[in-house]
Amino acid sequence: MQLSKKIVVLGHFGVGKTSLIRRFVENSFSDNYKVSIGVHITKKVVEFEVEDTMSLILWDLEGTDEIKTIRDAYLLGTHGVVFVFDVTRPSTFQSLNTDLEIIKSKLPTTPLFVVGNKVDLVVVSELETLFKENNIKTNFLTSAKTGDTVNDMFFELAKLIK
Amino acid sequence: MLKKFQQEYATKNVQFILTDFEGTILESDQAFLAIKSNSHLIDIHPFFECFISIKDTLEDEIVFNCVHIVVDNNEYVTDIQFSKKDVGFLVVISDYTSHYIAYQAIAQTRNESIINGELITIKNAELEERERFKNLFIRNFSHELRNPLTSIISITKIISSTSLTSEQENMIQFLQESNANLKLLLEDILSISMISSGRLKLSENVFSLSQLFELITFTYNTKTASKGLSFEINIDKKAPDYVEGDRLRLYQVLTNLLDNALKYTNEGKITLNITFNQKRANKVNMRFEVLDSGIGISKDNFETIFESFTQLKTATENPGSGLGLSIVKGLLDLMNSEIKISSSIGEGSNFYFDISLKQPLQTSTKPILNTNKKSTKKSSKRKTDKKYRILLAEDDINVQTVLFKLLLNTGYFYIDLVNDGALVMEKLINDDYDLILMDINLPNVMGDEVTRLIRDFPFKNIKKIPIIGLTGYSFEDDFAGFKKAGMNAVIAKPFDDQDLIGLIFKHL
Ligand SMILES: Nc1nc2c(ncn2[C@@H]2O[C@H](COP(=O)(O)OP(=O)(O)OP(=O)(O)O)[C@@H](O)[C@H]2O)c(=O)[nH]1
Ligand SMILES: [Mg+2]
Repeated sequence: MQLSKKIVVLGHFGVGKTSLIRRFVENSFSDNYKVSIGVHITKKVVEFEVEDTMSLILWDLEGTDEIKTIRDAYLLGTHGVVFVFDVTRPSTFQSLNTDLEIIKSKLPTTPLFVVGNKVDLVVVSELETLFKENNIKTNFLTSAKTGDTVNDMFFELAKLIK
Repeated sequence: MLKKFQQEYATKNVQFILTDFEGTILESDQAFLAIKSNSHLIDIHPFFECFISIKDTLEDEIVFNCVHIVVDNNEYVTDIQFSKKDVGFLVVISDYTSHYIAYQAIAQTRNESIINGELITIKNAELEERERFKNLFIRNFSHELRNPLTSIISITKIISSTSLTSEQENMIQFLQESNANLKLLLEDILSISMISSGRLKLSENVFSLSQLFELITFTYNTKTASKGLSFEINIDKKAPDYVEGDRLRLYQVLTNLLDNALKYTNEGKITLNITFNQKRANKVNMRFEVLDSGIGISKDNFETIFESFTQLKTATENPGSGLGLSIVKGLLDLMNSEIKISSSIGEGSNFYFDISLKQPLQTSTKPILNTNKKSTKKSSKRKTDKKYRILLAEDDINVQTVLFKLLLNTGYFYIDLVNDGALVMEKLINDDYDLILMDINLPNVMGDEVTRLIRDFPFKNIKKIPIIGLTGYSFEDDFAGFKKAGMNAVIAKPFDDQDLIGLIFKHL
C-alpha cells in the first residue's frame, strides 16, 4: 500500500493556510478570503522518483486566535506540522515563539516548519530586520499568490517525514 | 427557540457505520451517504486516512468536530465519532452542515473585520512614519544647509563691494539673488515642516503689541523704501497694548503677509491696518489687514495660493519659495484663526484675519518677560564643539573682510553679515545667534541705539545675547556710554586679532 502521511497546517486566521494548500494541490489561487471553520482534508500524491511516491493527507485547520484552543483530536497521528504566519500582519507572529512552544508540547517529536506567507506583499530584505527584532526564525518564506517556494516547502517536509 | 432546536434535531442526519478492526465496512445505514459494505472507510474520504492511527491507539472513543467531507460531489460539515466495540469500530457521522454554515458566516464577519482593523492600523502607522521621516529629513537637511549658506551669502556680499569688472558684477548680482532665494526657501521649508509635523507649539506670553508694531514699522519702512514703495500702518486706538500669545508667530504671520505684498507690488504702497473688533471676557478680538497696490490675484487662485509650493505663474521673476502664505495659513490655523482674501487682478490684494488674543489681567504692571526655550538650547550647544553663530553688524567693507578672514580661519564660527542698523533686529528675530559684533557707526540706526533696542526686547534669548562693540572712537568716556547702552564689551579699531578672539570667547 502507498505510504501516507498526515500534515497539519495551522496558524492564525487569514494567514493563507487554505491558499497554500490550494496552490500546492490545484496550482491555483484566489484573492477572496473564505474563512475556514473546523477542518478541510485533501490528499496530494508527491513523487520523489519514479515508483517512489507518498500520499500527503493535508489537514487545513481553521485559523485560531490562540494556538492552545486547537482541538487535540485534529492533531492525532500527525507526521508533520506547518505553522503559517502572515508577514504583513504582526499580530500573526508576535507570539510566534510561545505558539511554537505550545505546538511542541502537544507534538513533541513531530517535524515542524515555520512558514512566513504573503512575501509578495513585502520587501524581503526589510523582513530580515523585522524578524530579528521579533526573534523569529523561519524555515520558508512563501507566497501562495505567486506560488513562490510553496511546492518546495511541502516537498521538503515530505522528504523529512518519509 | 425550542422550536428551532427541535427542527435542527429533526433535520439532522446521522449515519451509523460498523467496521472491522481494519476499517473494512461491515454494515452501514444509508441516512445521507451511500456506502457499500465491504468497501473500506478510507474510500469514503481522505479524512478517514486517520483511521490508521485510530485503530492502533483508540481505547474508548474519539470525536472529530466540524469535519468537511465531500461525498458524491456533495459537501457536508459533520461531527464524526469513532467508538471501539467488540467486533470492530462504530463510526457515527452527524451532519451539522446548516448549523456550521451559520457559524461560518459569523466567523467570516468577525475575522474580516479584525483583519481590516489591523491593516488600517498598519497603514496609518506606515503613513505616519513616512511623514515623520520626511519632516525630520527636511528639517535636518535645511538646518545643515543654513550655516554654510550664511558664509556664502556674507562672502558674496564682501566680494560685491570690491572692485569688479562689469562681467563679474553681473555674475555676483546673479549669485546674490540666488543666495537670497535659497535662504528664503530654506527658512520657509523649515517652518512648513515644523507646522505640518505638529512640532510647532505656540507659546503663551505677555507681550507689547505697540512694540511689535514699532518693529514692523521700522523694518518695512526700510524694505518698502528700497523698492520705491511707501509703507503705512494704522493702529486702532482701542487696540490694547499688552496681550498674551505667541509674539514671534504673530510677527511671522504679519511679515510673511507683508513680504508677500512687497513681492507682488511694484508701485504704490503697502498698508497694515489693525482694527479692534470686540472684547469678550478677557479676550480681545482684532482684525489684521495687509493691503497692497500690486498685481492682484484672480478668484480662481484664492485656494491654491495657500498650498505648499504653489507660486502663481506671474511670480516667476520674483524671489521666494511660495511657501510664505502656506506658513501663514498653518500658523493662523494653530492660533484658531483663518486667513481671508479679497482681491482682483490689477487692483491689489487684501489679506486679512481676525484673531482673539488674551488680555493679561494686570496690564498696568510690567509684562512677564518671555522665557524662550531656545536660550536653554543654546547654552547646552556651547558645551559641544559645534560652531558658534556670530552676527557681524558692520558696513565698512575693509573691516568686514578682515573680520571674516580672521573669524573663519579659526574654524569656530559661522558669520552672518548685516550692514545696516535697521536690519539687525530682523536678523535676530529670524535666526539664532550666539554673539553680535556691532559696529557703532552703522547707517540708519547707530550701534548703541540698536543695542538699547535689543536689551529692551521681551525675548530672553534676544535680550541676553552678548554684544561686543567695535568702535573707531578710543576715549574711555565713549566706551562707558556704549556699555551703558547694553554692550558687554567694546573694542577699538584697529584691534589685535588675538584680543578680539579672546574677547569673543570670554562672552560666549
Ligand atoms: N498577496 C497574497 N495574499 C494571500 C497569500 N496567501 C493568501 N492570501 C490571501 O489572504 C487571505 C486569506 O487566505 P486564506 O488562505 O483563506 O487564509 P487562511 O489561513 O486559510 O485563513 P483561515 O481559514 O481563516 O484561518 C485571502 O484573501 C487570500 O487571497 C499570498 O501569498 N499573497
Ligand atoms: Mg483557511
